[in-house]
This record gives sequence, C-alpha cells and structure tokens, in this order.
Amino acid sequence: MANEVKPGSETIGAAGPKSKMTLFKDDRAEDIGAIIVTVIVVAIIVLLKMK
Amino acid sequence: MSNESPGFFRQLPSALPGLALIIITMVVIRNWIEPWMAVTKVFGMQKPLTDAFHLNYILIGIIFGLLYRNVLFGGRMPEIFSNGFKLSRLMIKTGIIMLGSLYTFSAIVQLGSMAIFLIGGFVILTIIMVLWLGKVFGLDRSMTGVLANALSICGVSAAVATSPAVEAKASHVAYAIATILGFGILTMFISPFIGHTLGLTDLQYGAWIGTGILNSGQVLAAALAFNPNVAPGTAVSVAEIWNIMRVISIPFAVFAVTVWYWAGKTEIEGGKQKSLGTLLVEKFPVFVIGFMVMVLFTSMGAFGSVGLKGGLPPSETIKTLRLVMQWIFGFGLVGLGGYIDFKELRQAGGAPLKLGLIVGVTKYVLALVVVLLIKDSLVSI
Repeated sequence: MANEVKPGSETIGAAGPKSKMTLFKDDRAEDIGAIIVTVIVVAIIVLLKMK
Repeated sequence: MSNESPGFFRQLPSALPGLALIIITMVVIRNWIEPWMAVTKVFGMQKPLTDAFHLNYILIGIIFGLLYRNVLFGGRMPEIFSNGFKLSRLMIKTGIIMLGSLYTFSAIVQLGSMAIFLIGGFVILTIIMVLWLGKVFGLDRSMTGVLANALSICGVSAAVATSPAVEAKASHVAYAIATILGFGILTMFISPFIGHTLGLTDLQYGAWIGTGILNSGQVLAAALAFNPNVAPGTAVSVAEIWNIMRVISIPFAVFAVTVWYWAGKTEIEGGKQKSLGTLLVEKFPVFVIGFMVMVLFTSMGAFGSVGLKGGLPPSETIKTLRLVMQWIFGFGLVGLGGYIDFKELRQAGGAPLKLGLIVGVTKYVLALVVVLLIKDSLVSI
C-alpha cells in the first residue's frame, strides 16, 4: 500500500475520508468553493452599499 | 478501495447545526465575553485578560473550539456538529481571498518583494536542515521528506501534498502533522504576548509570525490575536502576504523534496516521480488566484478608497468588507479550535518530534532575530 492520504484529509492522525477536515472532495474543490462564496458575499455587500 | 464521499451540496444541510454552534459561539464572544473582559477586574488588576494576556475574540474563539471537542464532547466532535466544523477551512480561505481588498498591486509588490526574500530563504534553509537532521536521527526517508515540507512551508497542507510523492504512510503524515500542530498551537498563544512584550510594530510582528509559524490557520490566528483590526498595515495584512508567498511555494518545495527522495533510492519505480509542471497544475492553491483577482478589483477602485496610509479614508464598502471578514475569520477559527484534538497530538513522539521541535524552535527564533535585524528595511503599506 503506497499511500491512502487524500488532499483535504487534514485531521491529525486520520488519513481516511471519514476524518476529512472539509466537506469538499479535496483541497482544489474547497479553494473553488471559497472563491464562489467570496463572489457571493462581495456581490451582496456591493449591492447593499450601492445607492 | 473507494474513497468517494457524498457531494458538498448533499452534505450541506447536515452542516447547519455545527455552523449554528460556531456562529452562536462567536456572537456570544463578541457581544458579551469580549466587552466583559474589557472591564473586568481580577485580583485588583484592571482588565488583566485583555491587557496582560492579550486575549481577544480570536483566541477566545479558538479556546471555545478546543473546549467543545476536548472537554464538552469528550475528544470527539458529535456527528450532529461534525459537518458544520468541516466548513472552517472554507471560511478561513474565503476570508483570505477577501483580504485582497486590503491591498493595491503596488502595496503587494512592496510587501511581496520583502516576503519573497524572507520566505524563500527560510523555506530553503528549513528543508536543508530537516534533510540533514533526518539523516542524523536515522529517520525513514519518507518521514523526513514529509517533515521537510511540513516544517518549511505550510504545515498541514504541505505534509499532505508531499506524502504521495515520497511514498509516505498515513502514520508518517500523522506524526508530522501532530508535531507541527502541537508546536504551532503553542506559538499561536505565546506569539502575541512576545510581540507586545518586545513592543513590535504590526509590520515587524506580521513579518515574524508569517515566517516563523508553520500553519496558515495559526498564522492568521496569531496575527489577529496581536491586533484584531483588519486594515492595511495591520499585523494580519502583513502576515497574510507572507503566508500567501509560502503557500505559493508548495509545488516547488514538493518538487524539490521529491527529487531528493527519488535520487536517494537505489531502484527507481517508473512513473512515480512527477514533473514540476504536473505538480504546479495539481498542487497550486487556486484560492490564491481568487485573492489576486480581489487585489486587482481593489487596485481598479471597484470598492472605493482602500484607506492606505496618507490617502483617503476607507469607503463604506471597504469598511463593510472588513467587518464581514472579521466575523468570517472568527467563525473559521472557532472551527479550527474544534479540530485540535489533544489525544491525536499525543501521537507525536520520538525522533520526529525531536526533529520537529529543533527545527520549529530554530525557525521561530531565527525569524524574530532576522526581522529585528532588518526592521529598518521593512516597508510599511
């Protein structure tokens, strides 16, 4: 067995998906998720402040 | 073996209880606990919690997360709250992308050029030191490779990113992560105290912890614990540029350690060593692109005045963005605290722990010394 660690499986001492420290499938998906959330939050703030 | 887990959106409803716990915790801390700390008197001392121990909503939030997991829930996050706490890194990354609204491109170039110099030097020196000490302590090459990147770049992410390239076992990664997180938790709490005691400026402090602390979340926590304000020139604005520079170097460091690992093997198993190009495509942290786009919009004036030193005051949009960022970081760091498990930290031990502590302490102290030596050359934004 070479390795079972997946990106995103960052909980200490546990390499499997059960203890992943993210709801995303890996780090890359989480990064994209963060970009999408940012776009939504920033868009809401800009719209609210637009008078 | 299938490692497939249900998709993000299918798991999202189950994350709501944990998310609610995180949000309620931070609302209670910011509205009641922090104001109480600011006026309370203990043993005749006025405001000792804020003035002497430099506690603020960030550190209190992490402590709450820690207590939930390790005391209230007996070492394991209950199923009902588990998925909500898994959103903590998403929140931290979202906050970091939004931090792009603190900078213009010229400020990034000013800070970034200093950061490249310090980060680059420390990453290379740390890798060399770990590889040498790994040999001295007789550590397994896979373990040494994982520790080299865990201690030189970005803690947990680097350890995980390096592990497949150096054929590391799960136990290697667990040892490395337990070591660096244990050390990082300590530095996260003592750094603000040291910074205030030495009278460091936000710029000096941000440069120091951005270089000396190993884990992204801990850099963020230590910066906000020193100064909870989110604005250009504050500790978090400096530390995060250092942090971004370090995160960007992950694929390069993974490549360097992979080359070292395979060069030392007598029989090369075909196809296992990846090229730098492949590693860049696979491992580049794309949230950094989001951060740079945010900087681009800010530089173009899309959100109004940023409030840089000597310029116009920040616009209402920028002020709201910063307020929202403070809350998002607060939520993310309560979640981070909930992922610190003392039982798992006890896995650290033996030679990997010794090596980790020697290198971690050296880097932490040396970074402070270097920052103090070059303090007059550090450029403020």
